[in-house]
Amino acid sequence: MKCTMCGTTAGCSGCPIASDFYLPETLAALDVGARATVRRLASSSGDLRRLLALGVLPGVELEVERRWPAVVVRMGYATVALDAALAEGVVVSRGV
Amino acid sequence: MTHGAGVVGQGAAAVLPEAGTDRWLLVGAPNVGKSALFGQLTGLYATVSNYPGTSVEVASGVRDQAGRAIRVADAPGLYSLLAVTEEERVARREVLGEGACTIIHVVDASHLDRALPLTLQLLATGKPLVLACNQMDEARSRGVAPDVGLLAERLGVPVVATVATTGEGIEALARAAAAAPAPADGWGLPQPFAAVAAAPADGDERSRLVAELALAGDPEFEEPVAALAPDRWRGAVAARDERWGGAEGFAVALATARRRMVLALLDGVVPAAAAPRRRRDAALDRVLLSPLTGLPIVLLVLYLGFYKFVGGVGAGTLVDWIERVVFDGWLTPPVAAAARAIVPWAPVQDLLVGPYGLFTLGVRYAVAIVLPIVCTFFLVFALLEDCGYLPRLALLLDRGLKRMGLSGRAVIPLVLGFGCNTMATLVARTLETRRERVIVTLLLALAIPCSAQLGVVLGILSVYPAAVAVWAGVLLAVFVFVGYIAARLLPGEPPSFFLELPPLRVPALRNVLVKTGTRVRWYFAEILPLFLLASVLLSVGDLTGALRGATHLLEPVVRFIGLPDGAAPAFLYGFFRRDFGAAGLYDLARAGVLGPAGLTTAAVTITLFVPCIAQFLMMRRERGLRMALTVLAVATGVAFSVGGLVGWLLRAVGGWA
Repeated sequence: MKCTMCGTTAGCSGCPIASDFYLPETLAALDVGARATVRRLASSSGDLRRLLALGVLPGVELEVERRWPAVVVRMGYATVALDAALAEGVVVSRGV
Repeated sequence: MTHGAGVVGQGAAAVLPEAGTDRWLLVGAPNVGKSALFGQLTGLYATVSNYPGTSVEVASGVRDQAGRAIRVADAPGLYSLLAVTEEERVARREVLGEGACTIIHVVDASHLDRALPLTLQLLATGKPLVLACNQMDEARSRGVAPDVGLLAERLGVPVVATVATTGEGIEALARAAAAAPAPADGWGLPQPFAAVAAAPADGDERSRLVAELALAGDPEFEEPVAALAPDRWRGAVAARDERWGGAEGFAVALATARRRMVLALLDGVVPAAAAPRRRRDAALDRVLLSPLTGLPIVLLVLYLGFYKFVGGVGAGTLVDWIERVVFDGWLTPPVAAAARAIVPWAPVQDLLVGPYGLFTLGVRYAVAIVLPIVCTFFLVFALLEDCGYLPRLALLLDRGLKRMGLSGRAVIPLVLGFGCNTMATLVARTLETRRERVIVTLLLALAIPCSAQLGVVLGILSVYPAAVAVWAGVLLAVFVFVGYIAARLLPGEPPSFFLELPPLRVPALRNVLVKTGTRVRWYFAEILPLFLLASVLLSVGDLTGALRGATHLLEPVVRFIGLPDGAAPAFLYGFFRRDFGAAGLYDLARAGVLGPAGLTTAAVTITLFVPCIAQFLMMRRERGLRMALTVLAVATGVAFSVGGLVGWLLRAVGGWA
């Protein structure tokens, strides 16, 4: 998704503007047991389609079950696994 | 909207065509019981799978629905019309196809919130649609069963509760599908997306849907839609970019809007709170998925399932019994005697019951050696598949496979390759990128022994446990090394891994038997004719002396890797069937021509050596002739260089030969 501040589609990691305000947390950074709500998807178009196929969308609530060997989250009744690269594109806020 | 033409029994007075079409298309996400439902509707079995992506082709059958012949098609798994994998694109082509059909959207009744966004997309095609809430028994037992009547009222299409494994609701589903009308208007794109997508479209539902996919950045549709009406397309893109900041933003916003619609639709249809995951499932997954306990379990599964059961019971006990008792004892003597009595001409006798005869070589190898191994292998595979272990295995091995340019998803074709490399080459189609498909094809052709070959090789080497260890170690090393090199040589994006983990369950006997039976049938339909063809070719070659000539050509290569000339025919048979080659070595071992070092060298080379005819043809079909020939060349080169190296090392170490 395109950043509304600088227009990049590469995501916020390493962005000097974003770091001045806050660092958005991604799914990859959450601990096991953490519950969070998806806020936005900051992935390239290919990864984005993969996340949409899994049902990972803004507004979806999830709980982290595993971080290794891949991120496993529970969303409602479903359990989905995604690798770290995909999880890094999912911007979340803690709590549901 | 026109409906199917093949409606019988209409009088001249009928003004409106009878509702429903004579073609039904089953659509749905992987792992919702779609193939089982297809089996119930048609009496045919598609491979039922608890793993996403083992149904790769559109299966089709015929159903007699109250005198109407209905063609029923089972599309591969589809999560969303915005496709990611090749199987999804296959399914999507079916959905968006021009011909009239009634879509049966099969969903898991426990997961309606995940499935209904696709229902909304499917409704936007304007085709008649029936929603099948399958696996209703599981939903009931978890207390999340939906109110199908209320949902049908809200969607305006029939909604039927089904349990494909028991047949519950199948008749009701068929009646609903036979009478399904086109959906009411108003299920097109939600606003404001519709306004933007309408601009480059032609006015009908299908072209609006295609425009939507193009605007969402789908590479398959962007160009055609842009070419159709360049000015209108540019206008729509400008409007999209202004409002959503690009294709990605459009796709996410649209998916989010659909999700909101779905949640509104489901309000009061399903219980408000999702049932918590069963404690037992979560605990089991912790054990299966953490590397510390998970990897030993993988090894244990491989050891018990494949080495002990397939290798011991299948390749050992059963093969021995069928070969010694059934063939040598009961079948071969009377058949040979009959052939010699009935056919007066010696060459034809040879063709039938000679050393390379149709019966003595083709049928005997197929039934006595291959059948028991293939059956036991597919049985174990089906058990692992049905209980939901394979996705866990994929997850566990993902990181390791990433180093080889693959993702955890590649586990399925790779494991299936131990059963039949030809089938596995076909299933590699489910991988996302061409790069992954090529790497898997190469590894299958090179380092994965198929069950027929495995059986014979293990049979020969079992006398020397150290030889089995060397053989397995060399194969594993080649597998990892070639995968690593291929990942570096082949350009492409790094693979990504994402997978829905189905709940673990106790395997259902019926599913397991159906799956095993389907695969064994497929195997014999594809492979037995080639067995027979190979026997004919070898017999002709033997008669004309061509075989001897070709053998002489191979002798220098065989000598190069340190084997006696007598091993050359075994390599030649390997061209026809990989296990023929291995079986040729079997004869040499029994004759005492080869010692343990020679046998190990030969077994390594034969395993790495070219794929069988069937696999070669499948590689050509799936990846093209150039790729098939490249794989062939690489496999031959690697086989003889590694074989030479292993032979040299074993001789250098000494004490063995």
